[in-house]
Amino acid sequence: MRSVSGRVGIWLLLAAVLVLLPHALSFSQQEILVFLTINILLVASYRLLTLTGEWSLGHAVIMGVGAYASALYTKEFGIFVPVSMVLGACTAALVAMILSYPLFRMKGFYFLIGSFAAGEIIRLFWNRFREPFGGPKGIKRIDPMPDFDILVWQFDFFEPVSYYYFSAVVVGASLWLMWRIERSPVGLTFHAVHWQDKLAEATGVNVRAYRTLAFVVASGFAGLSGALLAHYIGAVNPNIFDLELMVFVLTWTIIGGTATIYGPVIGCIALTIVNEIVLREFGLEQMRPFVYGLLMIVSVLFLPKGLESLVQKGLARIASSGLDRDMGRERETPGS
Amino acid sequence: MSAKLLEVSDLCMRFGGLAAVDNLSFAVEKGAIHGVIGPNGAGKTTTFNVISGFYKPTAGTVRLRGETISGLRMYEVARRGIVRTFQHSTLFSEMTVLENVLVGTHLNYRPNIFAAIVGWDSDDRRAARAKSEETLEFFGLLERAGDRAGDLPHGHQRALGLAIAMVARPEVMLLDEPFTGMNPEETNSMMSLMFKLRDNGVTILIVEHDMHAIMGICDVITVMNFGKLLAKGRPDEIRRDPAVIEAYLGSARDVA
Amino acid sequence: MVELLAQTGLNAIYAAAYMSLIAVGLVLVFGVLGVINFAHGELFMIGAYVVVAIYADFQMPYVLAAAAALVFVGAVGILMERTMFGPLRDNPLGGLVASIGFLLILQALVSVQFGVRMEHVPPVTQDVIVISEKVRLPVQRLAVIIASIVFLSLLWIFLRKSKFGWALRASAQDREAASLQGISITRISIIAMFIGGALAGIAGALTAPLISVNPHMGHSVIVAAFIVIIVGGVGSLEGAVVASIAYAFVHTIITTFWDGVIADIVGLALMLAVLIIKPTGLFGTADRA
Repeated sequence: MRSVSGRVGIWLLLAAVLVLLPHALSFSQQEILVFLTINILLVASYRLLTLTGEWSLGHAVIMGVGAYASALYTKEFGIFVPVSMVLGACTAALVAMILSYPLFRMKGFYFLIGSFAAGEIIRLFWNRFREPFGGPKGIKRIDPMPDFDILVWQFDFFEPVSYYYFSAVVVGASLWLMWRIERSPVGLTFHAVHWQDKLAEATGVNVRAYRTLAFVVASGFAGLSGALLAHYIGAVNPNIFDLELMVFVLTWTIIGGTATIYGPVIGCIALTIVNEIVLREFGLEQMRPFVYGLLMIVSVLFLPKGLESLVQKGLARIASSGLDRDMGRERETPGS
Repeated sequence: MSAKLLEVSDLCMRFGGLAAVDNLSFAVEKGAIHGVIGPNGAGKTTTFNVISGFYKPTAGTVRLRGETISGLRMYEVARRGIVRTFQHSTLFSEMTVLENVLVGTHLNYRPNIFAAIVGWDSDDRRAARAKSEETLEFFGLLERAGDRAGDLPHGHQRALGLAIAMVARPEVMLLDEPFTGMNPEETNSMMSLMFKLRDNGVTILIVEHDMHAIMGICDVITVMNFGKLLAKGRPDEIRRDPAVIEAYLGSARDVA
Repeated sequence: MVELLAQTGLNAIYAAAYMSLIAVGLVLVFGVLGVINFAHGELFMIGAYVVVAIYADFQMPYVLAAAAALVFVGAVGILMERTMFGPLRDNPLGGLVASIGFLLILQALVSVQFGVRMEHVPPVTQDVIVISEKVRLPVQRLAVIIASIVFLSLLWIFLRKSKFGWALRASAQDREAASLQGISITRISIIAMFIGGALAGIAGALTAPLISVNPHMGHSVIVAAFIVIIVGGVGSLEGAVVASIAYAFVHTIITTFWDGVIADIVGLALMLAVLIIKPTGLFGTADRA
C-alpha cells in the first residue's frame, strides 16, 4: 500500500499542474484546453454508459440536449447561468429517461441502431422547428457565464483561462462523482449486468432498471458537458452534435480503453494532442478524419484494450510489489 | 416435511407447435432435496426456466407459498425467494471471487445511488462484505476471494455458482445440472455441500440428466419424459419403476 | 391530383430501386459477416465518384464508368473484409467501430482528391418519357429502375441456383453450422463483401447524374438503409426489397405533400416502432443479435 501522504501529494501535484498549465500556453491553446476539459466530461460520461455493456450512438445528441436546454432556459426565462447548466443536465437526463423506455427493449446491435435513430430524430427536430430551436442555424448569442470575484481573484468568463478553471472544477467534481458511483455496490451491479445479465437477474437484479440508471446518469453528465460548451462558445446548432462528434467520442473511448475511469480520458487527451499539435503544426488539419479513422481501425485491431492497458502495465512495473488490486483490475473492451 | 412450498400445476410450455412441457404438475415440500430427472429433451430445463421466470408459461401456474409466481420476471421471482444457478460455469468470470458473491447480496442489501455517493451505505457495505466472506468460508473459497473467478478450477467455479445463489438467502434454490462434467471427487464434495445447504433450511430443486448422481441425495424425485410427468416418488421407488427404466433404456437405444 | 399521385408514384419507384440495391447489400453483409457496415453509405458515395472521375473528368463512356464503379467498389469491399472484418470476426462491435473508422478514411480521401464541394455530373441522356403533361419519367431514372431489377434478379438467381449462393445462404442462417459443413467462412465473407460493395457502387454510379455528389452523401443513404433493413428484418433479403419499396413510397409521399424533414422523422419513428414491437422486422424471422 502506498502511504496516504504520498497519495495526497500526487493529487496536490496534479492540481498544481492543472492550475499552472494554462499560463504556459498561447491564447488559442488555452481555448483548446477549455474544449478538452469539456470533452473529458463527455467521454467519461460515455464510459459510465458503457459500463452495463450497451454502447449508444446517441450520446453526442444527448450532450446537445443539455446545451440546447441550458441555452434556452437562460434565453427564454432569464435563469442564472450556473443554475440553468444544472437544469440543462437534468433535462438531458430526463430525455434519456424517456428514450430508455423504447431503447431498453432492445439489446446489442438493435440498441446501437435504436439509439442512433433516436438521436437523429432529436437532431431533425432541432432542424425542423425554428421555434424555439432556431432551425439549422441554431441558437445564437447565448448568455455567457456572468463574471464574479472570489477574494482577490476576478473571473471574466470570456477569458479562456477563467472558463478553464470554472469547467475544470465542474468536470473534476463530476469525475469524482462518477468514480464514487463506480466504486459503490451500484457500480459493482453495473459490471455484473455487463458480464452476465442473466446471472445478475437470477440473483434479483432488475437488469433493465440498472441499464436505465447508467444511461440516465451518464446522459446527465453529458448534458452538463453540453451546457458548459454552449455558454462558452455562445452558439449551438444541430451540426455540432452530429455523427462526427459521436465518432470522436467512440474513438477517444476505444483508443483509451474502457477498463478504467482514466482510460477514455487518456484517449481524449492523446488524440487532442495529436490533433491540435501534430496535425495543426504540419497543416494537415484537413486530414483529421483520415487520421482519426486510421487510429480507430489500428487500435481496434492491435490495441484492443486501449492506451490504458499500457499505463496499467507501466504502473504494475513501477510498483510490482504492493499496489492495491483495484488499480490493476482489468475490464476488457466490451464485445471483444 | 409436508408443507407444499412450491407447487407446479397443469404447466404447459409450447414453442411454436412443439410442446416442451405438457400438463405437468408436481409439488416440492419444504426442506426437501427434490430432483427432476428425465432423458434428453424431456423438458426438464424448460420446466426449470419457467419456474425461475426465464420463460412465461403457455398455460398453468407455478405457486410459491400459494402465491402465483409464474409470469413474473426472473428478478421478481428471485425477490420472492427462489434463486437459480445455471448450467455450466456461468459466473461473472472477469470479476473477483469476492465481487461475484457481493453481487449475490444484492437482494438483502439493495444498493442506492444517492447513499452510495454520500457514503451513507457504509453499514450495508460492511454487512454485505461480512456476509459474503462468511459464505465463501462455508464453501471453502475464502482464501481465493481475491482471484479472478474465471481462473478458478472447474469444481471451485461450480461451488462459487452455489455461493452466489446461497448468499442471497433464498428459500428455494434451483440447481441446473450441478453434476455435469464433474469427476467423482468433485461430485462427492458437491453432494456434501447440498446436504449442508439443506441442513441450513434451504429447499433444493435439482434438474439432472444423470440419474445415478441424483439417487443418492434426493428425498423425492419427479421423472419427466416427452414433457409429461412419468413418475414420482422416493429414489428406491423410482429405481424400480418399469416405466422409468423403459424411458431411459428407450432413449439410450435411440442415441445408440 | 391524379397526375400528381402518378408522378409521386414514379418518383417512389425510382427511390425504391436504388434503395433496394443498397439495402440488400447491407443485409447480405450483416447476414454473412454478422457485422453492421457503417461505411456502406460511403461505398455508395465511392461508386458515384468513380463516375465523376471516369465519365465526367476523363470523358470516357458512361457504361464503362458504371462497370468500373461496380468492380472497384466491390474490390473496396474485399479490402474491408481482408483488413478489418476478417481479423475482427468474433468481435462485432470492433467490426462496427472499424467500419466507422473506414468511413472517415473514405470521406477524407475523397475530400482531398475531389474537394468537399458538390460535383456536377453531366446528364448521360436528356430524354424524358412524357406520359402526360405533368407525368414524366427521365430515361436515366428508368435506367436505374431497370438496372435495379436486373441486378437483384441476377443476385436472386445466383443465391438460389449456384453452389456459392447456397453456401452464402447457409452461412447467413448459421455461421457455425455452415463452417461445420465445410463451408469456408473466409471465402464466403469475401464474396458477400464483394457483392455488397458492388451493389452499393452500382447504385452510386447509376444515381450520380441525378443527384448532388459530395463526400458526405453517404450519411442520408445509410440512415435510410438502416430504416429499411430494420423494418424489413435484418436477416431477410426479400424483406429488404419489400421494405425499400414501402419506405420509398411513404417517404416520397410525405415529402411531396408535406415536408422532407418530417418524412425523415416519420421514417426513423417507424423504425423505432418496429424495433420496439417486433425487433426481428416485419418480414424477418431470424434473430441474430
